[in-house]
Amino acid sequence: MTEAIAPGEIDLGARAAGGEIGLMRKGASEWLFLAPALVFFIGYQVWPIFRVLWLSFTDFQFLSSKPAHWVWLDNYAHALSDPLMWTSLMRAALFTVMFLPGTIILPLLLAILVDRVTNQRLATLYRVILLIPAVIPSTLIFVLWKWMYNYQSGPINHLLVDTFGLFTLQNAPQWLGGTALTLPSIAVMEVWWGLGYHTIFFIAGLAAIPKELPDAARIDGASEWQVFWHVTRPQLAPIMMILVVLRFGTAMAVIDEYLIFGGFNRASPTYTWTIFMYDQAFKLGLWRQGYAAAIGMIGAVAMMFVMVILLRIFRPKG
Amino acid sequence: MTLETNYSAAAEPEETESWFARNRSAIVRHSVINLFALIILLPLCWVLLMSVKSLPDAMRGDFWPKHFDFTHYTYVFHRIATLPVNLFNSIYVTAATVLITTICAVLAGYALVHIRPFGAGLIVTALLVSLYFPVRVVSIISIYETQHWLGLINNTSGLILPYITLQLAISILIMRSMFQLVPHEMFESARIDGAGHWRALWEVGLPMVRNGLVVIFIVNFVAAWGEYLLCLTLVDDEAKRTMPVVLAAAQGGQGQWSWPNLAAVYVIVVTPGIIAFTFAQKLFFKGLLEGALKG
Repeated sequence: MTEAIAPGEIDLGARAAGGEIGLMRKGASEWLFLAPALVFFIGYQVWPIFRVLWLSFTDFQFLSSKPAHWVWLDNYAHALSDPLMWTSLMRAALFTVMFLPGTIILPLLLAILVDRVTNQRLATLYRVILLIPAVIPSTLIFVLWKWMYNYQSGPINHLLVDTFGLFTLQNAPQWLGGTALTLPSIAVMEVWWGLGYHTIFFIAGLAAIPKELPDAARIDGASEWQVFWHVTRPQLAPIMMILVVLRFGTAMAVIDEYLIFGGFNRASPTYTWTIFMYDQAFKLGLWRQGYAAAIGMIGAVAMMFVMVILLRIFRPKG
Repeated sequence: MTLETNYSAAAEPEETESWFARNRSAIVRHSVINLFALIILLPLCWVLLMSVKSLPDAMRGDFWPKHFDFTHYTYVFHRIATLPVNLFNSIYVTAATVLITTICAVLAGYALVHIRPFGAGLIVTALLVSLYFPVRVVSIISIYETQHWLGLINNTSGLILPYITLQLAISILIMRSMFQLVPHEMFESARIDGAGHWRALWEVGLPMVRNGLVVIFIVNFVAAWGEYLLCLTLVDDEAKRTMPVVLAAAQGGQGQWSWPNLAAVYVIVVTPGIIAFTFAQKLFFKGLLEGALKG
């Protein structure tokens, strides 16, 4: 598309700046403009991934004074024969299943409703309110919900115990801290957090649909549900695909929430592959980072594998 | 509420039906939206009220306090010794991160669209892949090593380096799609008039990508202001840490970390972002629609 413009641009640039000097200036500034971004991107994103990949084939321990040895696939064999590796992967998958439907369907519903608000001021007000959680930084969301879910003094249990009398102080639900309720509780929090942001995504998608399409369908006698299913849904498919794949990625790789709500108890449902990796790398023994690297790579490859399948399923037809 | 003005042409108004029957779909729609709005606002209201409750009210747990007490805000600044330090750390690290990331993203976005150096396609692919790979989790092992090698463990300023990359890829991609909206000819004519790439970008480009700038400002602010994992891992001293790690570790209870004090700290940390967003929301939405959805 822009290919056709590119050669012309070089000509103009060279002519404007005067032949050779112009070409040299262009060569230097090409890299000047990209250099700052590339330094950080390579130094703190590309290099770490390859470094971790390399470490995963060694018996590197950070706190050990002995040099690391190349151990080929030992770490991977060890990890894959550890039941905890499989349990921790299953826990991450379980959380993803709890979280993903709510974070796609609720915003879609909400977007369709907000899209039909014709009063501009109200529509803006709704969008601003919905987006407030999206501009609250992650950890502050977690801290807020840690208080909401607090066993003794949290408002949720206060409602259940004192206001509605459904529970007593002894048998009130223990939402966090590695109980069976912890993953659903975190999933609810995550849906709450992403609600507005995802709604805005869908509103943008709805705004891009030409108004004639649903109107024509309505004139032909289609019900609102048929309009949604046959007109709106296919038009929103690309946005839905991006959201499903991206959120699958975030859900499988959750770590901060598990550190804050679950800690390092291996029996806790929050002890997923990310925590398993972190535990090995920075907590246990002499920091077996070679082994931790293998755990991280297994987790990452497993979720990338599913993401590729998802991309294939949701790829727009034709 | 002026529901009457909002009802759409979906239902045909008939003289015989009551106002409620005619506006049924609008009423349902607004009720559902308001319910969700309430669910979003309630936890935030709870914290806000908690921060101005008297201590006995906080212990009792009722939503609306019997006695208001606004002294918690001054108390936390005067009596919690590390708080001003942690707050300063957060402001310093976040400001530096937002500034540097924005500069990197603008330059790279411009270069990828309007200079198109050799390998631009490869860079875009790498940026896209990094969005899907769990880089943040897996790279922490190697980032610790790098920071150790640079002597930046337990160093607040050292956090800025990895923080810049938290949202760098998405920022570059947003700026790239913003610059794709600016016609090539605009930069060409500026350069024919004798301006270099720098001046063409500064004078012609920046005003055109204003909405995108607002988006990456907010995205990077949110990322850096709330970052937890790196700060927890790379910094050990309480006084060198940023607010999120301190708040996440604080256990509500008695004394200096009583619930109202904790809530007051929370409100102090959360409010600047919400206020900034409320003012910038128009530009933010525009930028979000123009840039974020194209990548």
